[in-house]
Amino acid sequence: MMTDHPLFEAQGIEKAFPGVRALKGVDITLAGGSIHALLGENGAGKSTLIKIITGVHQPTAGTLRVDGEAVRFAGTRDAIARGIGVVHQERNLFPRFSVAENIHLEQIGASYFKPIDYAELNRKARQWLEPLELDVDPAMPVSELSVAKMQLVEIAKALSLQSRVLLLDEPTASLTASETDRLFAILRRLRDAGTSLLFVSHKLEEVQEICDRVTVLRDGENACDSRAMAGVTRGDLVEMMIGRAESAASGRRRAADGAPEMLGLQKVATELGHRDIDLSVRAGEIVGLYGLVGAGRTELAKAILGKFAITGGETRVAGEAVRIGSVAEAIHRHGIGYVSEDRKSEGLILQHSVLSNAGIPVWRRLAGAMGLLGDGKVRDAVLPYLEKLEVKTPSLAQSAGNLSGGNQQKISVAKWLAAGVRILIVDEPSVGIDIKTKAYLHDLLRDLADGGTAVLIITSDMPEMIALADRIAVMDGYTITGVVGNTGSYPEMSRRIMDLIHGPDAAARTA
Amino acid sequence: MSRISQLSRTDWFGPLLATLLAILVVRGFSETFLSPYNIQILLLAIAVNALIAFSQMVIIAIGQMNLSVGAIGGLAAITFAGAMEVWGLPAPLAVMLALGVGAACGAMNGALIRITGISAFVITLATLSIFKGINLGLTEAQPFYGIPEGVKAFGNATILGIVPLIFVPTLLVSIALWYMLRRLPVGRFILAVGSNEHAAELSGISVTATVVIVHVLSGVIAAIAGILLVARLEIGQPSIGDDWLILSFAAPVIGGAVLAGGHVSVSATLLGVVIVAVITQALVLFSIDPFLVQVVLGAMILAAVGLNRLRAHQPVSGAG
Repeated sequence: MMTDHPLFEAQGIEKAFPGVRALKGVDITLAGGSIHALLGENGAGKSTLIKIITGVHQPTAGTLRVDGEAVRFAGTRDAIARGIGVVHQERNLFPRFSVAENIHLEQIGASYFKPIDYAELNRKARQWLEPLELDVDPAMPVSELSVAKMQLVEIAKALSLQSRVLLLDEPTASLTASETDRLFAILRRLRDAGTSLLFVSHKLEEVQEICDRVTVLRDGENACDSRAMAGVTRGDLVEMMIGRAESAASGRRRAADGAPEMLGLQKVATELGHRDIDLSVRAGEIVGLYGLVGAGRTELAKAILGKFAITGGETRVAGEAVRIGSVAEAIHRHGIGYVSEDRKSEGLILQHSVLSNAGIPVWRRLAGAMGLLGDGKVRDAVLPYLEKLEVKTPSLAQSAGNLSGGNQQKISVAKWLAAGVRILIVDEPSVGIDIKTKAYLHDLLRDLADGGTAVLIITSDMPEMIALADRIAVMDGYTITGVVGNTGSYPEMSRRIMDLIHGPDAAARTA
Repeated sequence: MSRISQLSRTDWFGPLLATLLAILVVRGFSETFLSPYNIQILLLAIAVNALIAFSQMVIIAIGQMNLSVGAIGGLAAITFAGAMEVWGLPAPLAVMLALGVGAACGAMNGALIRITGISAFVITLATLSIFKGINLGLTEAQPFYGIPEGVKAFGNATILGIVPLIFVPTLLVSIALWYMLRRLPVGRFILAVGSNEHAAELSGISVTATVVIVHVLSGVIAAIAGILLVARLEIGQPSIGDDWLILSFAAPVIGGAVLAGGHVSVSATLLGVVIVAVITQALVLFSIDPFLVQVVLGAMILAAVGLNRLRAHQPVSGAG
């Protein structure tokens, strides 16, 4: 049962990455015989904290203690040696290797040329599989197991390293309801045996069901530090996660009701697994698409663009039912532009000049009869927009890679303005951009909408969403769970959005 | 699960069927195909080609490629021949020297890849040119003719009049590789790194050591192939290795190797070599233009990669 003596402590943990302070003095205390929840919105600092606890990153300041003794992890091996095991969100197994070999690969690592005794390996593996009630042949290749069993193999692997602290990052993300129940039964048994478990999840119902303690992070700080779960309601957790009544979100109220619909999706399904997507964006309207990472937002944007196939339902552009077969068609025939969240690899060609980056979408339109394309022509087409957006560049010949993140983002937007798109999809507009540029970018997007462009914004940043959107569509598990009109009130909006994600239906959807 | 479908999932079953089919068909059209003499010719080709294929196969296992296998083999071959003709070294010492050259070339590839972080494709493309340049600089593109009689005899001797003696080293290398990839930690590390480098690192495997070891291995196997060719051809041709590249990829791929890494099969690669040899032989027997061999080889690589993809796309249970 739970001991008062903490197995693991982190105090005043700070972590700075170039340009970002991810953690600003975070505390967490893990006791033996306890299941401890770690909660927070995207970007709150959860994964950074996990990486520090497991030795992937080293803290800029603060101390880690194991059994009361200050420790320093130079790498993951050090953390493992101190009994800290982790089951990552992504699978780290070798599919063609046997269950036993996957579990014991660390121990084999001692020598290169000593023949492996598989019989012995299988026998040893059983000893870790039994407590997990994992009834599989240790000699079986992992690739033949279900996702749930693979996860248990990873837990067995972590336990075989004598882990006393076990971190589970979104362990139920790919499990069905009954598999989740089985996992929880096992986690409770491990807890009763004295293991300290740290459970990271977005599903608040699960957290409340299984965790006895909770730490919430918000903006890289503790919204609460290792407090008992007893007496904490779901509402309290949401409150702590999104908390701040700050952010003078100057909600924008515009009546776009009468305007014609520019982009309409009805009962749309895609090859990626989206289903029953109903969404409409009118001319002059900004619609936000909110959801957690993995909800399928970027994927939906790419399906609209013709990158992935739409397999059902109806897509309308400017009132006309269309079938968009390719990205080129989306841009040139339907006037749909997409500003990628991944500027560096999808949005811009960093080695190329500012001019050619901004000009790409208009090349086809400007090319003369012989397919010839003069720089002058392109310059005339894009310069007004680069100037309007105040892109700061020494010259148009400067390569885009040398500009700041904000200026790069401006170029990504300018190129679509130059192309004269009717519908602009902007994915995470302010990732890696400083606050001033962010405000400027917001003004720009509002101006754009006022000028009649239909704008669809994808963002995980709640204040940004409330500052920009007229209506907010909430997405979870590859479907739209609801659309709410933006009142501009931060507490009200964030509660309604979180209800749509964490609401009672959420468990059923992910099951 | 039925017996057949279980068999069909092994790597060697498909290539084995294809091999038997190819042999039957060619035998159907040509009486002389399975004559002792012809079998000996086939085995001679297989002995060297299998080593060329293995030299590439171990690199494919870690998810890289080695464009310099031919250049390493060529450099080792002229080292072997040159050491005997110019320095008068006894054959065993010359063999050791040639193997050392192969190992050093491989170590250079592996170390450069890990130190610079540049892709194996680019590194081995560059070293291909370097090794070949050294070869031509040393030989001035002229062959070494002074191969000792003992070496020549070894290259052309047979066991019981059918199995060439040079088949023995190939057989030993095959068994050693099979054992290594199955039983030795180093073999498992190679496959683990090829399968998921990040996870391998998290499991405490030294990726750098594994990559360097596998390139040394590739270089040594290429060197053995070069040495055997000198013994068989009875001269140290500087052009040895020039035509190895396509063949080195064809056999492992026909044998179901995953080019992304993590999965290769010694037995299936060996069968891939046999298939290529049988088809090449058939084209000769039917007096078809030998240049067509290249076309057929290319077509076979495409077909094999296509088949492997189909196999890999079998539905995965429980996913999604």
